[in-house]
Amino acid sequence: MTDTDSTTTGPLAPDDITADSPFTLPGFFDALAEGRLVAARCTECDEHMLPPRPACYGCGSRAVTIEEQPRTGEVISYTSVNRPPSAFDHLAPITVAVVELDSSARLTGRVDASLEDVTIGDRVELQVRDPESVDIDLDFDLSYEEDWPIHVFELV
Amino acid sequence: MSTANIVAVGASPLGRTDLPGRDLFSKALAEAFEELPDPADVVDGLYVGAQSERYENQIMQGTLMAEWAGLRNVPAERVEACAAAGALALKNAVRDVRAGVHDAVLACGVEKMTAGGTEGATNALGAAFERALEQRSGITAPATYALLAQRYLHETDATERDLAKIAVKNHRNAASNPRAMFQEAVDLETVMDAVDVAPPLKLYDCAPVTDGAAAVVVANDEVASDLLDREDAVRVAGVGSAANNLAVAERNLTYVEGANVAASTAYEDAGVDPADIDVAEVHDAFTVCEALLAEAAEFAPEGRGIETVEDPGDRSAGWTDVRINTSGGLKARGHPIGATGLLQAVEAYEQLTGRAGERQVTDADTALLINEGGVADAHTVATVLEAQ
Repeated sequence: MTDTDSTTTGPLAPDDITADSPFTLPGFFDALAEGRLVAARCTECDEHMLPPRPACYGCGSRAVTIEEQPRTGEVISYTSVNRPPSAFDHLAPITVAVVELDSSARLTGRVDASLEDVTIGDRVELQVRDPESVDIDLDFDLSYEEDWPIHVFELV
Repeated sequence: MSTANIVAVGASPLGRTDLPGRDLFSKALAEAFEELPDPADVVDGLYVGAQSERYENQIMQGTLMAEWAGLRNVPAERVEACAAAGALALKNAVRDVRAGVHDAVLACGVEKMTAGGTEGATNALGAAFERALEQRSGITAPATYALLAQRYLHETDATERDLAKIAVKNHRNAASNPRAMFQEAVDLETVMDAVDVAPPLKLYDCAPVTDGAAAVVVANDEVASDLLDREDAVRVAGVGSAANNLAVAERNLTYVEGANVAASTAYEDAGVDPADIDVAEVHDAFTVCEALLAEAAEFAPEGRGIETVEDPGDRSAGWTDVRINTSGGLKARGHPIGATGLLQAVEAYEQLTGRAGERQVTDADTALLINEGGVADAHTVATVLEAQ
């Protein structure tokens, strides 16, 4: 379970759950750092889960597989964080959105645009940024998060 | 199965106070036990709802509150489900009494939110959201609820003005609630003109950061009848809870399914229908929640939850005649996170025993409480209470 083309369709075995598996957060962020956004897809009901997890919250099946995601999608909802947590102070105000990717997987993320320029239905593309370039307070990161990339959406 | 009854309630003052959490708890406990024997003679266990140790750098809240209540060597546990922690404490107490594990249990909740300033509260509350993608995007509580509100306004006829009316209604109710943090009415223009917090939510769309504690004594019929007259007890007729996904993006933004499951479970447990509910305290941490929960509780047709502000006769067809957030709600009564679910129970207890003063709803016999944790229905606890 170390690549993103896996055809796993059964419950993960204990040995599958390692830091280089995309079913774990380290493996998911490693893939993201290499430019691959991956989700788990339930082979029973087709639910997409991002980040991947070992069981489907839609139907309960553990028959999940990893599927690379399109990087484009649509803004479902959006707002502005005018007073963010202290680690993000220098980015305020932060525009955030719920984005539905073209695969139907959904995730929340910052949008690299001012609030007035964003509306529901806008097309966006996922960008992957080096955590250092985002300049988030290092104290914010947990030990295992330090090298994880930061995801941001850009309007397209 | 034994019957669980609420036999006494108490709460601290709500707002920004000089008292640490344990002393706020003492205030709530002292009120609850004003006319009862010592806690050690009444209860044999306790649950305390507390959202975060970050406010006062203190865990072991179960042990601490037991000490402060004069209890020794009893089961005493902190429970946590962010803002649903208080109702979770109540649910656990009810479960123990119903199962005969204990004859009487103290459910309490406490939060000293102002201890670390606004920054401390923002950071502590941020921990309620999904870490990998949401927290690392800088999200806050108002922003997560704003994502729900923005979509709700997009999908329904509701406007920002409709949301503002919910704030006006809840401030009006709080004005006659001596327990409320804000005991003054606000007008619609004040709400509409207030500063943006997370558009479309403005300052008055958001519940305040609040210090406070609440205590509720849950007992079986035998203890209840030993302690007080029958009409002074309120029966806990039904409970339900449900966890939905943690990440807001992975849920329906305009239908809080988990809250519907929790409420439906509580209705079924109590053998009542939504139309039987006379008063409801629902989790209006942000104005949009009140609309969403009115729909999830099946008081309102889909998309019409914003009519909580209307008198029953003026609402759309399909609405029940329930009165919602007579206390002023989280919005105006105050929202000390871990205590909030129990403050809902305090209001329902007062309504169902005829102690609600100016805000008393005539012939209130049945109440519903909905307490949420995380954004919206990430965790919901619902409770049905009935007058004796």
